[in-house]
Amino acid sequence: MNSVPKRMDVQKAAEDVHRRTLATIPRALDRFIYLASTRDYNTGMYFHDGLAARFSAEVACEALADCHQEAYRQLLLCPVRELVSQMEAYIQSSHTRPRDFIAAWRELEPYRVAIPVRTDPFSAEFLFSNFRIALAILEERLVNSRRSLRVA
Amino acid sequence: MIELVLFFALGVIFLILLYALTRRTDVRAEGGAEALLEARQALDSLQNGLLPATLVERIFAQEDLDFVSSSCSREVRVLFLRERKRMALSWVAQVRVRVLRLWQFYSGHSRRYARLDLRTEFSLALHFASLLIACRILQALFYLRGPYAAPGIVARAIGAAGNVCVMSERSLSFLSHVNAFRPESAGNSAET
Repeated sequence: MNSVPKRMDVQKAAEDVHRRTLATIPRALDRFIYLASTRDYNTGMYFHDGLAARFSAEVACEALADCHQEAYRQLLLCPVRELVSQMEAYIQSSHTRPRDFIAAWRELEPYRVAIPVRTDPFSAEFLFSNFRIALAILEERLVNSRRSLRVA
Repeated sequence: MIELVLFFALGVIFLILLYALTRRTDVRAEGGAEALLEARQALDSLQNGLLPATLVERIFAQEDLDFVSSSCSREVRVLFLRERKRMALSWVAQVRVRVLRLWQFYSGHSRRYARLDLRTEFSLALHFASLLIACRILQALFYLRGPYAAPGIVARAIGAAGNVCVMSERSLSFLSHVNAFRPESAGNSAET
């Protein structure tokens, strides 16, 4: 009996997250990174003070987990072209030098810790593979743009 | 002489059947429960992780190859094809492993839990066999000619696997309450 109203609360909380927060984050990659950052790496629990105050800590955690899973699925099903442009825009919004960003993401692979829990290992590996391809494309574009600047 | 050979052949078949039957009954209850959960997990993994059409379409999407071929250097194209080949081989190997796990459950334990009529058993065996053969063909094709070599066989393998899943789901439906009490760690998690 308890699970139905609780599930409805989680849905309401997820809608709240969409309306108040995720609506201002247009790209799936940004939503994915943002939602992963609301998770405590030690416990795997998601935290959001405002949401927990409006609902409860438990409901907020489940709602954020659902939104994270949704952003992950959107990113997973992105064509490579789309993923490359999302990463390009993400680099610009992060105000990091593209060369540093690409080097850090290549070496540290921070996206590995950003996937939701209970994700199928194969789909996670597929997303990582797409990230590697997208990084190679971005690096190549960066080298080409520098070369053309030098020529000019 | 021909009759003798025929009788001998029948005798051998009879002995093999007897051996198979004695092996089927020699299943310990605790091993059976483990096999039951493994079968459920294999089915969940196939249905939710490996076979969803949207994911499979993305792995083998021609659109991605066209994009990389038209806008990137040869090095990036080689990297793309290497990554896709690795993913395609991993996908087909994992589908095969889970189908084999389901097959092992059916051949060794299913009668303990599920009542399958002869027609369903025969149909299931046929689906399993065709799927395992398709997986082997796909593995060879992906290995030799890359991930974009056999879109038709990929589609057929997904269809056959879907049929196996539907039939397995039907015969394992009594397990839904077991699934509800399953510890979370037993699932296929990729907590990295």
